[in-house]
This record gives sequence, structure tokens and C-alpha cells, in this order.
Amino acid sequence: MTLRPTTLRQIALLSCAFAITVPLAIAPARAADAVAAVAAPAAGTAAGSATLEVKFSGIEAPTGAVLFAVYDNEAAYAADGHAVREAMAPVKDGAAALSFAGLAPGHYAIKAFHDIDGDGKMGTNPFGMPTEPFAFSNDAKGNMGPAVWADARFAVGAGTTVQTITIR
Amino acid sequence: MTLSLSRREILSAGAMAGAAMLCPQLALAGTGDADWTLGVADVEDDLAPAAMERIHGRAPAGLAGTLYRNGPAKFRRGGTSAGHWFDGDGLMRAFRVSPDGTASLAARFADTPKRRQEARLGRMVVPGFGTNAGAGAVLGGPDDANPANTSVIAAGGELLALWEAGSAVRMDPETLATRGMKTWRSDLAQMPFLAHPRIEPDGRIWNLGLSGGSALVWRIGADGALQAAQTIKLPRSSYIHDFTATARHLVIVLQPWIQDKFSLPFVDSLSWRPDQGTQVLVIDKDDLTKRRLYELPAFSFFHLGDAWEEADGTIRFDGCVEDNPSFGMTSARAMIQGTYVRAPMPQLAMIALHPAGRATLTPARIAAEFPRTDPRFAGTARTRTVHVGHYGGARPLAQSIGVWDWARGRDDAHDFGARQLVEEFVFVPRAGGAAEMDGYLLGTTLNLAARATELHVFDARQVARGPLCTWRAAAALPVSFHGTWLAG
Repeated sequence: MTLRPTTLRQIALLSCAFAITVPLAIAPARAADAVAAVAAPAAGTAAGSATLEVKFSGIEAPTGAVLFAVYDNEAAYAADGHAVREAMAPVKDGAAALSFAGLAPGHYAIKAFHDIDGDGKMGTNPFGMPTEPFAFSNDAKGNMGPAVWADARFAVGAGTTVQTITIR
Repeated sequence: MTLSLSRREILSAGAMAGAAMLCPQLALAGTGDADWTLGVADVEDDLAPAAMERIHGRAPAGLAGTLYRNGPAKFRRGGTSAGHWFDGDGLMRAFRVSPDGTASLAARFADTPKRRQEARLGRMVVPGFGTNAGAGAVLGGPDDANPANTSVIAAGGELLALWEAGSAVRMDPETLATRGMKTWRSDLAQMPFLAHPRIEPDGRIWNLGLSGGSALVWRIGADGALQAAQTIKLPRSSYIHDFTATARHLVIVLQPWIQDKFSLPFVDSLSWRPDQGTQVLVIDKDDLTKRRLYELPAFSFFHLGDAWEEADGTIRFDGCVEDNPSFGMTSARAMIQGTYVRAPMPQLAMIALHPAGRATLTPARIAAEFPRTDPRFAGTARTRTVHVGHYGGARPLAQSIGVWDWARGRDDAHDFGARQLVEEFVFVPRAGGAAEMDGYLLGTTLNLAARATELHVFDARQVARGPLCTWRAAAALPVSFHGTWLAG
């Protein structure tokens, strides 16, 4: 998963200089691999006992899928670095959901966008503003950038944890 | 005459604005004591359609339609305040003139995410041109800060309330209900769209959307459908509020008020660099890669008149130029606090771009702002410029209107006096007429003595004779920016 970071220049160029950019992109081939399930835990990540059920609501466009990345630490989340899971949940009847088993209990945060046109990329206008809906876990809101880890992180314990995210 | 802005005045205004941000209680619910502050007072609610009282003359036969005007009308909530005149919530006003000579006024706020967020919080928190973000502001993109407060055009059977750093906002021409953001194409959502599109006589619309040194050139058909959107590079990251056009060229004036840093609010990211002069970029409408660049001495500006091209290739256009941008940087901030800080007066000037590469600026030697022209002549040769004027008293804002005749070097003006705040007037053609300025001027004033907004009609060729007809509203609305006339 490639995440283009928000640059100061991108922000500074905005006429009112307050926009968020969380361009999140999954290459189409990899997105296809991720469909319908759960990308396998990355090498070196110990499998755990926890299950995370991620549900997306509030989806307006009936097409495409929600693409999202799950992070287990602040540094990776902030830098769009290594995600412990990345996935693609097809949109059906205004909702999308995926379940991950085998996570280690701990704190996680999610960045997501609704890939309405199915091109595997977060759509942006010519000046870099997102044109496809996006969201963060806890429905945390960003201000001049992605929501911060402290607002987006949630606990995953043993057993099943449900995280419901509203895609705006 | 040029009034200089002293350093002390700048500092006191800056200190005042700063103090107001630190101590919200200084941002009073009303404004200062001076009578002109009625022009930047808050409107709390939409205005249902109500008859206006005819207080002078009678409407010309055959004049029927609606003057839509837009401007900021809500600046303060819960002890907090917008930091700049340009950042209040847009209130769309509809002044309807009926065939029987009666007039009515209705007004409705653009129902924007900004207004909803601030109404919910009970505080002004959304950043803008000259306003800092307040605690709790949530912004997912430019349109979350869009006040839809600067201008209005009709396109594709609906009204578009225009800002400059985000989308046009769609409104119902009858009810003024907000329909949502205008997205011409899904990949162009949230793209900036200036409040000053140039409209060809056949209805085709050209506009720019700016982001630093890049511009999106919008081309929209008379039917309101997108024809083209192309990104171009500009030689510098000037603040661009307005541009102009001939029949064949786009003319983009690049003042040396340059975005050279990242700073909030937006206006603080701009630096005034008079040593760099003003540039004028001319671009072929049919091939945006064909361009010429002209150089002029430094001036600042907000508004230009339509341009035209002569047989030898000379391009001419007028504009309201200022010695420096301290009105936008300082005075328009202080206004919201009820303080008048003098700034260089806007002066009407004609700019000529000669084929050999030389550019000249010739002042008319009158104070003028809000230039408007006969829209049937957009892009072709003309001689007249409608403007407001008579600045420079002990208060901001204009108190007269006039039509400047470039051929005779003469102004045909009417002074409303010190107790009226004069807003932009637009030209309305007379049915059956075709010559330039054969028609009427329609515009509004805020009568400080009567504490009421007034609508006036002038004969565009006999302005000095005073209004042909004046109607007075029951309400006093704050001073608005720009409008458009829709006949019928």
C-alpha cells in the first residue's frame, strides 16, 4: 500500500490552506488480492488471539469498495508506514464489512476511503484534494491532515472487537 | 489623492485583532459605535419575501426581473468573531422588480457546512481569508470552509453563490434554497472557482481556480455544462481575486502580493513585494500554451473591468488599483471590530498592453471600486465603466456611484451623502436598446439614517440626475459584495 504523505507544500498551495490530504492507494492488482478477505499477517507479525470486525456505514455511492489499512503503532500510522492489515471490503447495500482473525490484542487505528470508481486509488482533484469519501477509526476527524493516532486508536482485546466507521 | 497608512495605524489594528482573538470578550456582539458599523452587523435569520416601500420616483416601464446580491452577513457567535470582512456567512438577497413597478426583498443564507458547524458549536471557528481556526473546527476539505459569500451568477437554470477558494454553491433562483456544492465533474470536486468569472456576450463562462502558482482554467457553456477544465502554470503565486478577458484572450494580472510561506490565516501567507512589479499574463483562449507576459510598476487590486483587443493587437482593460494591499491585509480586518483604518484608496486606471511588449497604466484620477460594464460588450471595445466612489471620509466604504467615460475623461456621478453606504451597481439593458449604457443602473445602499436597505434605479446615461426610483426595505442588511441581474 502506498500512502502519499501530506506535504507542507500541498497544504500551503491550498487557497485557504486547511485541507486534508490522505491519499491512500492500493495498486489494483494488490487490491484484487485483498478482496473478500484478509490480507495475511505480514511476515514477522505474530498471530494473535483477537478478532477485529470492521464495519463501514453511511456509504452513499453504491459502487466500488472501501479500501483501508490497519496500523498497530503511532509511528507507522502517522508516516503511512507498515500496516498490519490492508484490505478491500466490497460495498453492498450502503455498507461494507470485513473481519480479521489472528490479531494480537493491543491498540490499533484505521485509515479508510471509499474507492467509488474502483481504480484502487483515492481520487483527488487536480490540486490534490480528496474527491472520494474517507474516514478514520473512531470516526476521528483530521484537521489540516489525517486524524491523529490519539484520536483514531482503539483497543482490541481477546475475543471479538467491533469497530464501526462512518464513511463521510 | 492617496491616503497613507501609518505604521502606527497598522500596528494598532493588528493589536486589536490579535487582542480580540486572545480575549473573545473583546469581540463584541455588535460592533463599535460609529454609524457605518451597521454595514458589518449580523443578520440572524433568513428574510421571507416582503414588499419594499417605494419612496421616490417610479420604476421605468419594461423593467422587470431580479437583482441577486451576495455578501457576508453573519460574523459573530457566542463572543467570538470572524477575523475579516471577507469571512462572514454569505446571505443571498433577491430584490425583485415586478412589471407593475413594485419591488420586494427576500434573503436567505447559503446553507453551507461552515454555517452548520458554527451554528452547532455556537462559535465562529472555521478559518478563512483572514480568520484563524478556532477550537473544535473540523475541516475535511476546502468546501468545509466555504462561506459562499462573494458573488452570484446564473448558470444552467440555477444560481451559483460564489466564493473563490472552493466550489460554487447551487441555490434555487425562486426560493433561494441551497441545493449543495456545484461539482461539474466528479474529479473536479472541491476545486476553487473564483467569484469573478468572465462571461462572453453569448453566455459562455470562463473562470479560474487558483492554488499557488497553478490555475485551473474553467470553460462552461451558456447552458451551464462544463466544456473544458485545464490546469496551467503561472509565473508567480500572486493573490488573484479577479482576472479579465478579451474575445480571444484571458488576461491574468499578477500583483506582487505573493504567497511565499505557509501561514494562517491565508492572508498572512501573502507578502507585499513591490520591488517585483506587477505582471500581466495574456493567454490564447484557443491554446492555453500560447502566452505573453507584460511588466508594469507595482500595484495591488481586487477588481478589473472587461478587456478588449484593438486592430493592431493592443489589449486594453481597466481596473481599480491600490498603492498596496493594506485594505485587504489590515483595514478589512479592523472593520469587523468596528474600527476604521485608512488604506490607500482604490483608483480607476486603464491598462494598455501594446503588441511590441510595452505596457502602460493611465489613471482616471478618481477613486473607484466595484467596476461593472455593459455585459453585451464583454470582450469588445467599450468606453464606460460603472463604479462606486467617494471614499476617504472618516469611515470605510463608498458613498457615490458613477459612470466613467474613458472617451471624454468625465464622470457622471451621484453622491448619496455621508449617511449612505453604497454597494456595487450593475448595468441592466433597456429592452430594445443596443448601444453601450442604453439602460439602467440597479444597485443598493444601506441608509444609515433610516437604518434600512434601499434599492435604486438610475438612467445609466444620466446618473447625475439622481435615482429614477428608490424602494426601501423594512430591514437593514450589511453591505454586500457583488450581484447579477436576471430579467423576467
